[in-house]
Amino acid sequence: MEITTTGLNAITSPHLHVWDWRVSLYLFLGGLSAGLAIMTSILHVRKGGSLAEGERAAISAPIYVPVILSVGMIFIFLDLERKLNVFWFYLTVQPLSPMSWGSWGLLVFYPVSIMYALAMFPEQKRHLLKFRQLQELSALLSTYKLKLAALNFAMGIFIGVYTGVLLSSFVARPLWNSAILPVLFLTSAMSAGAAFMIIISNQKKVKLYFTKVDIWLVLAEMVLLPLFFYGQYTSSGANRESIMPFFTFSHDYFLYGIGMLLLLVILPIALVMKYLEVKEDHGEDLTASELMKMNVSALMVLAGGMIIRFTFVYAGQLSHLS
Amino acid sequence: MPKYAMVIDERRCVGCMACVVACKKENEVPPEQYRTRVVEKVEGTFPTLRMELRSELCNHCDNPPCVYNCPTGASYKNKENGMVLLKKYRCVGCKSCVAACPYDARYINEEKGFADKCTFCEHRVKEGNQPACVATCIGKSRIFGDLDDPKSVVSVALRDNHSEVLLASTGTRPRVYYIRKFGKPE
Repeated sequence: MEITTTGLNAITSPHLHVWDWRVSLYLFLGGLSAGLAIMTSILHVRKGGSLAEGERAAISAPIYVPVILSVGMIFIFLDLERKLNVFWFYLTVQPLSPMSWGSWGLLVFYPVSIMYALAMFPEQKRHLLKFRQLQELSALLSTYKLKLAALNFAMGIFIGVYTGVLLSSFVARPLWNSAILPVLFLTSAMSAGAAFMIIISNQKKVKLYFTKVDIWLVLAEMVLLPLFFYGQYTSSGANRESIMPFFTFSHDYFLYGIGMLLLLVILPIALVMKYLEVKEDHGEDLTASELMKMNVSALMVLAGGMIIRFTFVYAGQLSHLS
Repeated sequence: MPKYAMVIDERRCVGCMACVVACKKENEVPPEQYRTRVVEKVEGTFPTLRMELRSELCNHCDNPPCVYNCPTGASYKNKENGMVLLKKYRCVGCKSCVAACPYDARYINEEKGFADKCTFCEHRVKEGNQPACVATCIGKSRIFGDLDDPKSVVSVALRDNHSEVLLASTGTRPRVYYIRKFGKPE
């Protein structure tokens, strides 16, 4: 039996936590932006584009994508200890470093999402773009809508997976070192994207369409989460230890336990609410209470995504091999 | 080309922490931060207790996760001597290497912001000296030398004793070896 160990890690010295809330928030916003990009492409392409007709979100959602990503990037930038050296990310390619290919990926995702937003800007509203060059570019890009939608979709998948791979590549952190994590983060990102789409859209058909999409994504999350914990529990001792913060309501791990309880409550409730929304016989227009229910269930999904990022980022740093 | 390695003979460590102090002085490590440490691990049930004094530092792995995870190439494996080193001017302080190291050997230098670590005192080794922690070790618990030289102290120590590396299952192939209780009687 070991009585005392004096090591130097996040357990013995909490100040050694490597990444804090800024990285958690970046992973959430990066995921949300990726998920929204995927959902935006779906909105424009599905049902021969008829879903997007007259829909406010068809214009606003592609604009939200780079904006949300930028806010996330501000937080990851704030986390860097030597901010002036940030240009080094783009003077090298490190093929084995997920952070390197993620930073290059973001460099592609940014222009793609901006070009996509310009391409989807409707002709009759192009005069709102301030510069003539932007209006011309928008007109030019609108001829490549389908190709840009495919590229936007692919980049959304890439960034969604990347937010998980960033953590799962660390052999030193047993909680993160799982192949399920990138899939879980991608699913959560897509689910958050669909939820965001429900909030910003103005048409009943779009809201209900993405509610149906979100039901499947929340269900997938609810399958992946237990699978993840089961996989860790049946793996090595370090992996089993790594998930204990989520199931131990001790003083030290109380917040992780609360996070897990919230997930256990939020996701099923959101799922049931969404199911009822789809099954309900809505009138021509959605009533105020129906809208509120839709927004509440969407906000619950967003909160679930945020809880996953925060608890996983922090608990992963407590997990240890020795 | 030398293949530098360190052997920690735990049987000879007295826990004086002189290595920790020498390292901090030699490398100007900020207060409350360390490139090396001596872990005190007590096992057993009172009164039958046993204490392990285990010096820990960067393992200068042959398969270093910190190098693979570095997005800017700041962390690198020196091909000439096998040491895992840092190009400070390229480090952005993203802390990827800190998270990647299974030995918790890296930390963010609070004064300068880069992800600092043990360098096996490369500047001293280049001049033909021992790393500061080795030179100051009064129990001769820390041994440093060239693995490719069969007559070096590390080669002899590893030949004469059973040795282990930390967390071998991670596949990092460390260059810091530990001699524990299975050595030849002295």
